[in-house]
Amino acid sequence: MKTRCTLIAYVVISMLGLMILLSRENVYVVLALVLGFLLLGHRELWSLIRYRRLPIIDERVRDNLTGAMRITGGFFFIASIVLIVLLRFNVFKDTPTGLIISGLLVFVGIVYLIGYHYYDRVRPNLGEWAMRWLKTCLITAGLSLSTISLAIALHNLVSAWFGFEDAFFFILGLLVAPGILAASLLGSLAIFIKGLCASFKDVEQA
Amino acid sequence: MKNRMKEYRARLGLTQEKLAETVGVRRETIIYLEKGKYNPSLKLAHSIARALEAGIEDIFILNDD
Repeated sequence: MKTRCTLIAYVVISMLGLMILLSRENVYVVLALVLGFLLLGHRELWSLIRYRRLPIIDERVRDNLTGAMRITGGFFFIASIVLIVLLRFNVFKDTPTGLIISGLLVFVGIVYLIGYHYYDRVRPNLGEWAMRWLKTCLITAGLSLSTISLAIALHNLVSAWFGFEDAFFFILGLLVAPGILAASLLGSLAIFIKGLCASFKDVEQA
Repeated sequence: MKNRMKEYRARLGLTQEKLAETVGVRRETIIYLEKGKYNPSLKLAHSIARALEAGIEDIFILNDD
């Protein structure tokens, strides 16, 4: 009963939100929210259609959800900082804001799905060593992303204050940090794929 | 951690679906447990042992290495 009431409240609020967004002609955001809803709730929707009930949220699923939420929250935070910096430097010239926000929302949905997938299928196939490296790579990626934004801001500040073209923050923000970011992203991707391949092998053997 | 869930389940003629329903988890969780890819909480281990009519230590065996 409690779950049903929560779901009804959620649907009513979502419909109101979508109507407000549509009235403000934010079609891209509405599309992204609908797509995001389908991406995030595909398991629940499938269970409702097939069995006419919501799937059980057991301890394993709860762990996966918590992990995926944590990853998505981190991604959303970092992506928002990067987007703000990019918007500040007018990178998205003549691009509708709705499209930019929609892109971010769709990415959040995809990262959540990967996060959920990662906890569900990849994590059990990774040893302690691989998990430690994965965490290190993800933290390094997050740090280097923040460093890029910070170094660009500091480069502009130093150049404006001292009246000379700063080289240190320029190299840090446009060469060193992006290099580290690329290496850490490639590293985490390689570990993720390794875990995923192992999970496919399990399915074949079953 | 090793376990003998599959063996005990087969002995009782239970399907993964039925066991999942009895202990209140998803079928995928039972699959992961049987493969040793997921370590259950003490509460879940207890429920499984009771559903399989055995002791926890008979079903879940801790590896020393």
